[in-house]
Amino acid sequence: MDGFLLVLWAVRLLFLGLIYLFLARVIRALLRDLRAAAREPADRQGRLIVLASPSGEPQAGQSFGLDVITSLGRDVNNAIVIDDPFASAEHAVLTYRGNSWYIEDLGSTNGSYINGRRVDGVAPMGFGDELQIGEVRMRLERALR
Amino acid sequence: MIADATPAIRARSRSRVRGPIRPRPRWLETRLLALVALALVVGSLSLGATVSGRFGLADPAGLLIYVAALFAAHAAQVLAGRRTDQILLPTVALLGGISLLLMQRLPQDLVTQSFFGRTLGLAQVQLVWLLGALAVATTLGIVVRSDLWLRRYKYTWAAVGVSLLLLTFVLGTEINGQRLTLQLGPLSGQPTELLKVILVVFLAGYLSENRALLVEQDTRLGPLRLPPLPYLAPMVAMWAIALGIVVIQRDLGAALLFFGVFLALLYVATGRVSLVIIGFVLFLLGSALMAVLFDHIRTRIDIWLDPFADPLGAGFQVVQALHAFARGGLLGVGLGAGLPEIAGRPPIPEVHTDFPLAALGEELGILGVVAILGLYLVVVERGLRIGAAAADDFRSLLAIGLALVVGVQAFIIAAGNLKVLPLTGVTLPFISYGGSSLLANALVVGILLALSDKGVEPPPPPRAGSRWRRAGRPAGA
Repeated sequence: MDGFLLVLWAVRLLFLGLIYLFLARVIRALLRDLRAAAREPADRQGRLIVLASPSGEPQAGQSFGLDVITSLGRDVNNAIVIDDPFASAEHAVLTYRGNSWYIEDLGSTNGSYINGRRVDGVAPMGFGDELQIGEVRMRLERALR
Repeated sequence: MIADATPAIRARSRSRVRGPIRPRPRWLETRLLALVALALVVGSLSLGATVSGRFGLADPAGLLIYVAALFAAHAAQVLAGRRTDQILLPTVALLGGISLLLMQRLPQDLVTQSFFGRTLGLAQVQLVWLLGALAVATTLGIVVRSDLWLRRYKYTWAAVGVSLLLLTFVLGTEINGQRLTLQLGPLSGQPTELLKVILVVFLAGYLSENRALLVEQDTRLGPLRLPPLPYLAPMVAMWAIALGIVVIQRDLGAALLFFGVFLALLYVATGRVSLVIIGFVLFLLGSALMAVLFDHIRTRIDIWLDPFADPLGAGFQVVQALHAFARGGLLGVGLGAGLPEIAGRPPIPEVHTDFPLAALGEELGILGVVAILGLYLVVVERGLRIGAAAADDFRSLLAIGLALVVGVQAFIIAAGNLKVLPLTGVTLPFISYGGSSLLANALVVGILLALSDKGVEPPPPPRAGSRWRRAGRPAGA
């Protein structure tokens, strides 16, 4: 009977040990996943995807990686050139501050719109929000991981 | 606005969705599931040996069916070839397996149900529910490719949730002084379990749509910066609903769970600690008011403060649970070796729904309990990770909210079992006996799996709120 009890205790401890082995394996996988995510360049916090652009520049479907400060407008010196008759030369600036994206309209003639609503000065922008400048519509998305 | 998305984008997403289905190996999941199966066989051996006095599995048929179902779910996912999360399913499978072992160990006549003339005991009924839950989670994880059905109809879902709640208020059957169970013909269920999923869907939709407004504008109230008052209305409504649940359903746990998840999501969406503090203070005030007004809540709090004041009456459950944890010690007494039944009943009343953690604490010890809590943490981590990698705010909030529902619920009942918080009657996710609980948590896992797919359909463009549409489309549109 003593031998039986000894083996039984070994089995009980083995059960606990296996649960912990599972946890250890899972945690190793989680850490690997997190490290891989951390290795991604951190300076690309988001991207703008062009949904519609009647005048062809930028092209619909194009995706722009965003820097911490990204300027948009008709002038060629902008990071994202929007060659649209309704866009101003220096139209708007997208900035990443704290934990969130902000759009600032630089006093453009026809205004910038988030989800169809005109921006006064600075407005926060969430991922999935739609930005419209002139006739060009773009969506803010997270950078691809 | 959706109709005029450029053809290029639509074509791209369509080809991704309708492309040929190619099997994709999931080696990590395979390895983890093999480990789960091995652990469960050893656990069953330990249980069987303790109960019968010689080596053998406790319930070979039940265990075999469960493990076979796990690998069937795995195979289905491999064949479907989606790039979904590979850690979630094995983690939940281990929790479910521990649940199955626990239910095999408890007296089988705690729950009996007849299916087509055959009477099934506790473990068999639980096995049926576990298989159902596995089927739900796997199916959702394979089939769901778009979140439009959740995103588009958030107010519809909210209406469904509120009507479920009202239906329970009116038609619910009262069990142990709590009106939680809704009986429709032969089916009975606890709508609050489903309600928690609906709540997260609604909150994710509402907060992602109004996030900018909640962050942007201020109403100053002394030193506190508040969002514009109209946008606080849903918060007040939530508070009222939570208190309504406490008053009418007498369900303290669900109220705590709903409000906790609500505050957490509000914080995730706005990053404002002030909102959370206000909400917390509101909840404390509400609870204090409730404790003054209602006897059953005051009793709960009295039991929590001093269960030994009435160890054989009101405090019996909690005292027995504390004794169970004490008997378990560091390593536990072993599966099946816990205190034998007193007069044919287990010493803790409602052990299979409210106190599974106490039973596991006795038989697996503090090491087992910590491991189980660790498994819940893994589920929460996966949810947060899926949320962090999601393409837009709705998916992000949805994934985080769903994971937090499981985590907060596990915390509430674990804390109740351990006398850290007053005891409330919520279930321990994936472990407690109960069909509604298992199926609702399976919904959570299934949606998380679907959201974790890296090649999923891109989110639709947001629609302007009704207020802006009324004002007319902007110039240049």
